[in-house]
Amino acid sequence: MLTYLLRRLALALATTAAVVTITFALVHLAPGEPFVAGAEDRFVPPETVARLRERFGLDRPLGVQFARYAANLAHGDLGESFARHRPVAAVLAESLPNTLLLGATALVLSLLFGIGLGIAQATRAGTWADSALGALALACYSVPAFWLGLMLLLVFGEWLHWLPVSGMADVTLRVPMDGLRHALDVGRHLVLPALTLALVNGAAVARFHRAAMIEALGADFVRAARARGLGERRVVLRHALRSALAPAITLAGLSVPALLTGSVLVESVFGWPGMGRVAYEAIFARDYNVITAVAVVAGVLVAVGNLLADLGVAAADPRVRRA
Amino acid sequence: MTIPRVVVCAALLLAGCAGPARRAGEGATGGTLVIVTTGDADVLFPPAGAVTTSADVAGLVFSRLADLTFDLNTVDDSGFVPELARSWDHPDSTTLVFHLDPRARWHDGVPVRAADVAFSFDVYRDTLVNSRFRPNLDAIDSVTVRDSLTAVFHFHRWYPEQLYDATYHMKVLPRHLLDSIPRARLASSAFARAPVGSGPFRFVRWEAGAVIELAADTAYFLGRPRLDRVIWRVVPDLGSAVGVLLAGEGDAIPLIPPAELRARVRAAPTLRLVPYPSNAVAYVAFNLRGRGGKGAHPIFGDRDVRRALAMGIDRATLVRSLFGAEGEVPVGATARAQWIWSDSIRQVPFDTAGARRLLEARGWRSGPGGVRWKSGVPLRFSLLYPTTSRLRQDAAVLLQAQLKPLGVDLRLQPLEFTLFEERSVRKDFDATFQARTLDASPASVLQLFGSEGAPQSNYGSYASPAFDALAHRAIAAPTRVAARPLWREALGTLNEDAPAVFLFSPPVAAAVHRRFAGVRIRPDEWLAGVGAWFVPPRDRLPRDR
Amino acid sequence: MRALRRGWLRFRAHRAAVAAGLLVAVLAIAAAFAPLVAPADPLAQPDPVALQNQPPSAAHLLGTDRFSRDVLSRIVYGARVSLGVGAAAALLAVTVGALVGLAAGLASPAVDQLLMRSVDVALALPRVFLILLVLALWENAPPWVVVLLIALTGWFQTSRVVRALVLRLRESEFVQAARALGSGRPGLVRRHLLPHLAPTIIVSATLDVGNIILLESGLSYLGLGIRPPAPSWGNMIQDGKDQLFSAPWVAAAPGLALLVTVVAFNLFGDGLQAAFDPRDRR
Repeated sequence: MLTYLLRRLALALATTAAVVTITFALVHLAPGEPFVAGAEDRFVPPETVARLRERFGLDRPLGVQFARYAANLAHGDLGESFARHRPVAAVLAESLPNTLLLGATALVLSLLFGIGLGIAQATRAGTWADSALGALALACYSVPAFWLGLMLLLVFGEWLHWLPVSGMADVTLRVPMDGLRHALDVGRHLVLPALTLALVNGAAVARFHRAAMIEALGADFVRAARARGLGERRVVLRHALRSALAPAITLAGLSVPALLTGSVLVESVFGWPGMGRVAYEAIFARDYNVITAVAVVAGVLVAVGNLLADLGVAAADPRVRRA
Repeated sequence: MTIPRVVVCAALLLAGCAGPARRAGEGATGGTLVIVTTGDADVLFPPAGAVTTSADVAGLVFSRLADLTFDLNTVDDSGFVPELARSWDHPDSTTLVFHLDPRARWHDGVPVRAADVAFSFDVYRDTLVNSRFRPNLDAIDSVTVRDSLTAVFHFHRWYPEQLYDATYHMKVLPRHLLDSIPRARLASSAFARAPVGSGPFRFVRWEAGAVIELAADTAYFLGRPRLDRVIWRVVPDLGSAVGVLLAGEGDAIPLIPPAELRARVRAAPTLRLVPYPSNAVAYVAFNLRGRGGKGAHPIFGDRDVRRALAMGIDRATLVRSLFGAEGEVPVGATARAQWIWSDSIRQVPFDTAGARRLLEARGWRSGPGGVRWKSGVPLRFSLLYPTTSRLRQDAAVLLQAQLKPLGVDLRLQPLEFTLFEERSVRKDFDATFQARTLDASPASVLQLFGSEGAPQSNYGSYASPAFDALAHRAIAAPTRVAARPLWREALGTLNEDAPAVFLFSPPVAAAVHRRFAGVRIRPDEWLAGVGAWFVPPRDRLPRDR
Repeated sequence: MRALRRGWLRFRAHRAAVAAGLLVAVLAIAAAFAPLVAPADPLAQPDPVALQNQPPSAAHLLGTDRFSRDVLSRIVYGARVSLGVGAAAALLAVTVGALVGLAAGLASPAVDQLLMRSVDVALALPRVFLILLVLALWENAPPWVVVLLIALTGWFQTSRVVRALVLRLRESEFVQAARALGSGRPGLVRRHLLPHLAPTIIVSATLDVGNIILLESGLSYLGLGIRPPAPSWGNMIQDGKDQLFSAPWVAAAPGLALLVTVVAFNLFGDGLQAAFDPRDRR
C-alpha cells in the first residue's frame, strides 16, 4: 500500500510539473501580450503597458521568469492576478469551492444515476426494458453537455418556471441569512447544472455498470447465495452489487477530468461562479498567473480523483484491500 | 452623481409622476434595485477600475466636485450642478477655484476637505497608479489647497471645457484612508475591495463573480437616496440575464442590444424599456496606408474606392437586421448622446448603382468568380473583429453578404481580443471593426481621426488638414451655438473622405422593473439619476422591505 | 483476415449496430455531397430583416437563423466539419497511439517504461483546458490545427491498450513460432501483429469519433473551433443561444443532429466491439 501511495504521489508531482511547464510555455510563447488591450475595447498607452510589464516581471528573460514562478509555486505562492489586482490564491479561494460543490454533487448524482440504471438494466437483461434504458443511457452518453444544459434551461427555467435560470444564490435575500434558508436557496440553483453534468457522466457509469452487474449476477457466489434461498433483492443489492461496484467507482474517479471539462461549459451556460469561468475569463484577459494556477489545480484534482478511485475500489472490494 | 433637489423635481415631472417630489413620511424611502450585469467588477478603486460595472458601482459610492446635467453640455459652466463643491469661480483664464460643501462627509464620518481633492488629483496623475484617466487630466498642471474647504486647479492654458476636465474624470478619494498605502499597491489594497466614499450609497459587500451590494447612506449631505439598496448580480450571459429579469429575480439591465431579447422584455408585463440616447458607435476603419503603416494601401489608398464601398453598404438594413426597428444609423463619428449630433451632417448615400459606376471608373473590373480586379490586384480584403463581440461578428457576416454582389470579396478575420487590438494598433490589417463608447465631450473624435492626435487609435492613419483645422476651431468655440456648425462641417468632411464607415449605434434602452418610479437615465452614466428612483409603497415586493 | 470475417458475421447479427452503421454512412454521404443534399446555400441571406428567425415551415424545414439562413442547409454543411474533424482526428490519434503502443510493446523494457510513464503523466493533463488555451491564444486556428490538437492529445489510451495487446501477442505461440522461423521484426509486425491488432484499433477509432465530435462542438460553442460564417454544429448552437427562448429551433436542431450522430457512432462502435472483443464471445 505504501509503495502504491508513493508511486501515486510521484505521478501527481510529475503531472503537476508537466502541467506547469506546458502551460507556462504555451501562455508565454503565444502571440499577444497582457495589458495591451484594456478592458472593454479601451486603448492602453504603451508607457502604461511597459510599467505593468515591469511590475509583474514580464520584462525579464523567459527562463528567469520560469525559475521565479517555479520557486514561488514551491512555496505555495501563486502570484498576483493581472486583471483582478489581487492574489491568485484569493481568486481561487472564491471560485474553487463553488466548482467543487457543483462537481461533487454531480459526481454523487452520477454514481446514483449510473449504478441505479445499471442495476435496473442488468436485472432485466435482454428484455425490452433493458433496451429502452440502454437507449436512454446511450443518448445521455452521446449528448453535448452544454446543449443538454441549454435545453434543460429552456424547459425547466423558461417554460415551466420551476427552477432559477442562472447563478448560485438569490442575491436579494438579506445577509446574513440563516444557514438552512441559504442552503435551500443554493440547492435550488444547483439542481440544473448538477443534473446536466450527472446525466452525461452517469450514463458512462451506467454503461459499464450494466456489464459488470450482468457478470456478477452470473457468478458462482451469487448463484450460491440464491441457492441458500436469499431473496432476489438481497442477492442483487448485497452480493452482486458489492462485487460490481469497483468498476463504477473507478470510472467515477477517472471521470473527474471530464467533470472539470464539462463544468467549464456548464458553468458558462448556468452562470455558475466557479473556476471554469475564472479560467475562461483569464485566458481571454491573458492573465498568466491565473491561467497557470487553474492548470495546476486541475492537475491536482485529477490526481486526487485517481487516488479516490483506487481507495474507493479498495473499500468496496475486500479482495483488493488484502492484496 | 447625486442629483440635487432641482434636478430631482425635473426628473419626476418628466417621468410623469404625480405628487410632490419629496413627500415626507411613510413611503418616501425604501426599495431594492437589483441590477443584472454580464460582467463582474474588477476593482472598486475609481482610478484603476477598467470595466463598466466597476464604474457604475464607484459612481454611486464616490462623488465628483460637480456633475453634468442630463443634456451633457460639456462646454459651459451652466451645464454643471454642484456636488462636493458648493460653487466655483474662475479668477483668471487658467485658474479654477472650487469651494467645498462643508456638510460633505466620508462614509466613516470624517469630513471631506480640500486636501482630499489635491490628493485625488495626485493619485490620478501618478504613473504608479496607472489610471486610465491620466491623459484626460493632461491640461491641468496642479491642484493646490488654499484652505481646508478651497481647492485650486491650475491649467496649462485656457479652453472652454476646463470645468468638464476638472470635475468629470476624477472621483474624490479619502486621503485619510489611502495616504499610508504605497501608490503602486492602491489598486490591490483592501480599500479597493471594500471602498469608502462620499457618495449617496455605502459599500456593503462584494462576493466575486456573484454579487455587489450597496446601501443608502442615510446621512448623505445632499439628501439620502430614496432606494434602500442597490445590488449588482453577475450573470455572464446576456440571454440568461434577461431570463433572470423575466423570472423576477432582477430589476434592471442597462443595455440589451439584440432585438430578440428586447422583444422578450417588451412582452413581459413586469418590465419596461426606458430608451435613452446612445453614446456608442461601431465603425469599420479602412487602413489608408499599406500593411504596417507604410506606403498607400492598394485598395483603400484611393478615396473614391472607399466612397464606393461606403455607398455599397446598406446600413439601414444592417441595423434593422441586427436590432429590429430601434437601432440607429450613425450620422458620423458621433453618437446621439453628444450634443453635436445633427441630422444635417453630410453623408455618403446608399447607392449600389453609384458604387458600381465609381468602381468601374476607377478601373476595378469584374473578374473570375464575380470579384473585381485592377492591374492584378483583386478587390479582396480582410476585416478584423474581436471574437468577444457577438454584435460585430454578426454585423461582419451581414456586411460580407452585402458587399459580395458589388464584386467585393470581404474575408472575415476574427481574432482573440488582445490580438485584435495589437494588430489594429500595429496597423497590420486591411480593415478593422472598431467600437467606441464616446466621451460626453466631442473633442474625443480627434483621437480617432485627427492626424496629430493619438496615432494608436487613429487606426487607419487618416490625415486631413481640412478636418483637423475644422475640429480644432470647433473645440475652441466658447459656446455650443458657435461650435455646432463647425462640428457639422468637420464631421461632414470626415464622412465624405470615408476613412471609415460608421455602421451602427446599438439601440440604447434599459430594461427596468415597472415598480420603479422616477426613472431617468443619463446616457454617459446610466445610474447618475438613481438617487431619485423609488418604489411606491403599494408596488413593493418582499425584497423591497 | 479470418478474424475480421468472423467478426463481420457476428456484427451483422447485431441489428441496432448495423442500422447505426448505415446511418453513419448516410451522414457521411450527405456531408460529402452537401451541395446536392442541402436545399439552400448555407451562407445565403435571402432577407436578413423579414426572414430572420422564422420557425420551421415547408420552405425551411428547420426554420431560419438570425441572418435568414436556412438551418437545415447549415446542418448539412455543418456535418462536413463534425464528421471531417471527428474522422480525421480519430484516425490520426489512433495511428499515433498504435505506433507508440507497438513501439513500447516491442522495445526494451527501459524504453517501454519511459514511454508508459510519460503516457501516465499525459493522461492526467487537463486536456481540454490546454486545447482551449492554444486555440484562444493563437490567431485564427484553421480546422486542421483543431484536428491536430485533438489528435495529439487523444492517443494516450489507445497506446496503452495496444501495448498490452502486443505484450500478450508477443508471448503467444504463433509469434514465438514465427520468430523461431527467422521472421524479422517488420515482417512480424506486418504479418502477425497488425491483423490481430486491427479490430482493437478499428473499435477504438470508431468510439473516438463520437467523443471527438462532442469535443469539437464544445470548442466551437465557446467560439474557438470553427469560425463563422462557416457552419459547424457547435457554432450553430452558439448562434442560437441568444435566441434560445424566442427561436429555440436554431439551437435545438444542431444539438439534435449532434446527438443522433454521436449515438450512431457509439452504437456502431459498440457493435464492432461486441463482434471483435473475444471477452464477449459467449
